Amino acid sequence: MTALLQMRGIVRCFGAVRANDGVDLDVSGGEIVALLGENGSGKSTLMKVLFGMIPADSGDIVFRGRRLGGHRPVDAMAAGVAMIHQHFMLIEAMTVVENVMLGWAEAGRLLKRSEMAARIREASRRFGLDLEPDAVVADLSLGQRQRIEILKAVLREAELLILDEPTSNLAPSEVADLLTILRRLRERGKGVVFITHKLPEVLDVCDRVVVLRAGRVSGRAPVGAVTKAQLAEMMVGRDVTAPHAARQAPSKVDRLIVTDLEGPWLGPLSFAVKGGEVLGVAGVDGNGQLELVETLAGLRRPRGGALSVDGLDLIEASVAARTEAGLAYMPADRSSTALVKGLSIAENLMLRDSRRAPYSRGLLLSRAARDAKARTLMREYDIRAPHPATPAGRLSGGNQQKIVVARELDRKPAVLIAHQAAWGLDPGATRFVVERVLALRAAGAAIVYFSSELDEVLDVADRIAVMANGRFAGVVARREADLGQIGLWMSGRAA
Amino acid sequence: MTDAAPPTSPARLLALAAWRFHVGDRLAWRIAAAIALSFVSAALLVALSGHNPAAAFAAMAAGAAGSPHQLGVALNRATPYLLAGGGVAVCFRTGVINIGAEGQIALGGVGAAAVALHWPDTPSPAAAIVALLGAATLGAAWAGVATAIHLGRRVHEVLATLLLNFVALLLVQQTLAGPLGQSGAGFLQSPEIPAAAWLGKAPNLGAHAGVFIAVVAAALSLILWLTPFGFALRVAGRSRRAAAYAGFSMNGLTWGVMLLAGALAGLAGGVEVLGMHHRLIEGFSTGFGFKAVTVALLGALEPLAVIPAALFVGLLEAGSLSMQRQIGVPSALVAVIEGLTMLFVLAATVRRT
Repeated sequence: MTALLQMRGIVRCFGAVRANDGVDLDVSGGEIVALLGENGSGKSTLMKVLFGMIPADSGDIVFRGRRLGGHRPVDAMAAGVAMIHQHFMLIEAMTVVENVMLGWAEAGRLLKRSEMAARIREASRRFGLDLEPDAVVADLSLGQRQRIEILKAVLREAELLILDEPTSNLAPSEVADLLTILRRLRERGKGVVFITHKLPEVLDVCDRVVVLRAGRVSGRAPVGAVTKAQLAEMMVGRDVTAPHAARQAPSKVDRLIVTDLEGPWLGPLSFAVKGGEVLGVAGVDGNGQLELVETLAGLRRPRGGALSVDGLDLIEASVAARTEAGLAYMPADRSSTALVKGLSIAENLMLRDSRRAPYSRGLLLSRAARDAKARTLMREYDIRAPHPATPAGRLSGGNQQKIVVARELDRKPAVLIAHQAAWGLDPGATRFVVERVLALRAAGAAIVYFSSELDEVLDVADRIAVMANGRFAGVVARREADLGQIGLWMSGRAA
Repeated sequence: MTDAAPPTSPARLLALAAWRFHVGDRLAWRIAAAIALSFVSAALLVALSGHNPAAAFAAMAAGAAGSPHQLGVALNRATPYLLAGGGVAVCFRTGVINIGAEGQIALGGVGAAAVALHWPDTPSPAAAIVALLGAATLGAAWAGVATAIHLGRRVHEVLATLLLNFVALLLVQQTLAGPLGQSGAGFLQSPEIPAAAWLGKAPNLGAHAGVFIAVVAAALSLILWLTPFGFALRVAGRSRRAAAYAGFSMNGLTWGVMLLAGALAGLAGGVEVLGMHHRLIEGFSTGFGFKAVTVALLGALEPLAVIPAALFVGLLEAGSLSMQRQIGVPSALVAVIEGLTMLFVLAATVRRT
């Protein structure tokens, strides 16, 4: 095996945070190296440094015997590094061949469409990608879209592929296909860096594993020589107790009742949630979760069905009336729905309550009351910022989500709809969100908790529903949950 | 600022506005730099046309504010821009691109003239007030037509407001050819409006009362910023998804800002008719609506900053005429300066997210 990549002593700071603090990484041709670590451990920073998206403060990179430094992504690609992002950079309205030709000099000034299509078919066969050049991207599954990105990389003769959390959006069967493709890449002598925080995948396909924690390498080993437990300990480095111990039984009263709810890509769906109960909704993203939460919140009109909170019929109610009736909602899209980044923390805290006391007095908004309320909430919910007037966009993801949690929970809602509430948060912030949700449960609210991270759902929920193709493929009590069954439900094969 | 002061005292509001304007990423400095740059470019153009830039700018300054009378001319020019520009700024801040001020101003003029001529015997202050109400109503109604087309038929608001401008100008012609026209004038204009409805003029200065109306209206739009409605507008302008999530109705907000902007533009037309010409004349407001857009953008869409922006454009235009008279630099150069200023200011104030 030939040394492909050597990274030595990479340091990168963001303000006072040392995101990478002297990291070494080696990759040879024909091997798959797992880069393992929690959110915020420095995996993405290290790869962005390698790909030239951000410069390193110090350290050396040697790729195929040549030094890379002060480079940009264009240079990294020319040298033979390809990065496959978590969110694909594809144009949905175009075909596979058009997306492959996009921004690629070899496609010619006059596009050589048929020649390109032939090359795509050939590479697709060689690596088992199973892609049709004339298929329109919008019609393809997320797994197939990911394979287009891999195809782009191999056509451009990349020697090192970086895959950033490649399995997070895939159904189990698609994950298996991806792992097969990675093995083929390895047979052809390519180097692969596989960024993940999922242990089974690491043990399944990788040759070596490098574990990062808080910006430093906390362990490295050949895969054959470590156990899952050892990896978990290297990754976390501390005891992660379940955030909740005492669970009281839910009340007998259904606070949220949904009957035959139906809309485009959705339903029909019926379910009820009792006070003091968390219904966890698992499932691969894009199976109707967004449609369901937005219909419940009043942002989409259903084609039919009924919805009631504490016996009050809300199916025709406006968003404002639903909020007033005690329906709280934490959207997954923090950047432009749950928060307005350009507005201050105080203004974001009053976003959905500006017409109510204490924010409004008569016709005018009270600035003093708003700032006082903001200070109280910032203290209670541990929102770390210098001032209520700080723009929300300047805060870290965790502190941004705390604003949303504070705003929605301070209203003491009867029902909470939480969608990907801990997505992208570091372990501390995740735990904070989960604890607050569980505190609300203890206070007697009915909670529907949507997440594509199964572990998170298992942690929080009293009952688990699995969404596939716009419906619940199955619902099971937490105690009786069987991972195999849930996996089958997630892949859309309803029991 | 102490928390003990009542939250809505005028002094506090002004302090707040000044603070926001200043601290908002040093916006004021960047705008000042942009204006300076545009004058440097204009100086180059003057020099290229074979004149002395210093002399040209001196003539321009004298023409704009060299005497009380000249200053009055500038203030009168700034008035309609300020009124209509304030409305445009509020619309743009909400993300509603209303470029129908041109037509709304024209119909505002029709409203003022029609009311004043139809009830000629109304006594002095009431006559002007009623005529201005007529102007605001017709301006708002015209904005309402555009809004109904935009929301009802999903026509983009730029198209709906822009195209209705041409219809409005033809409507003015039609009323002057018909019911409001003065027969035998040889020109499309209405008879003179009874003096009771004229806006009073300040002695020496020659500025009419419209200036005060305009400043008060601009200050009121700041008050708007401190209401839940104003908050909803600001949220909607930054993210419509967040506005929907917050429970604000985008249709309701669009109606609100469009009617408000229409009324302000109509008022601009009414002030021009009652204060300047004392009759409705065809083409009395040509280009005002688009100037209003310039003013709104120059003021970086801040309600209070629209006041200096309108004054700037008013002074520039008043000065240009004397620059042309005295130095021979074509007054079209002023249009060039305005255009350059707008480009520089836009480049300086673009929001990076």
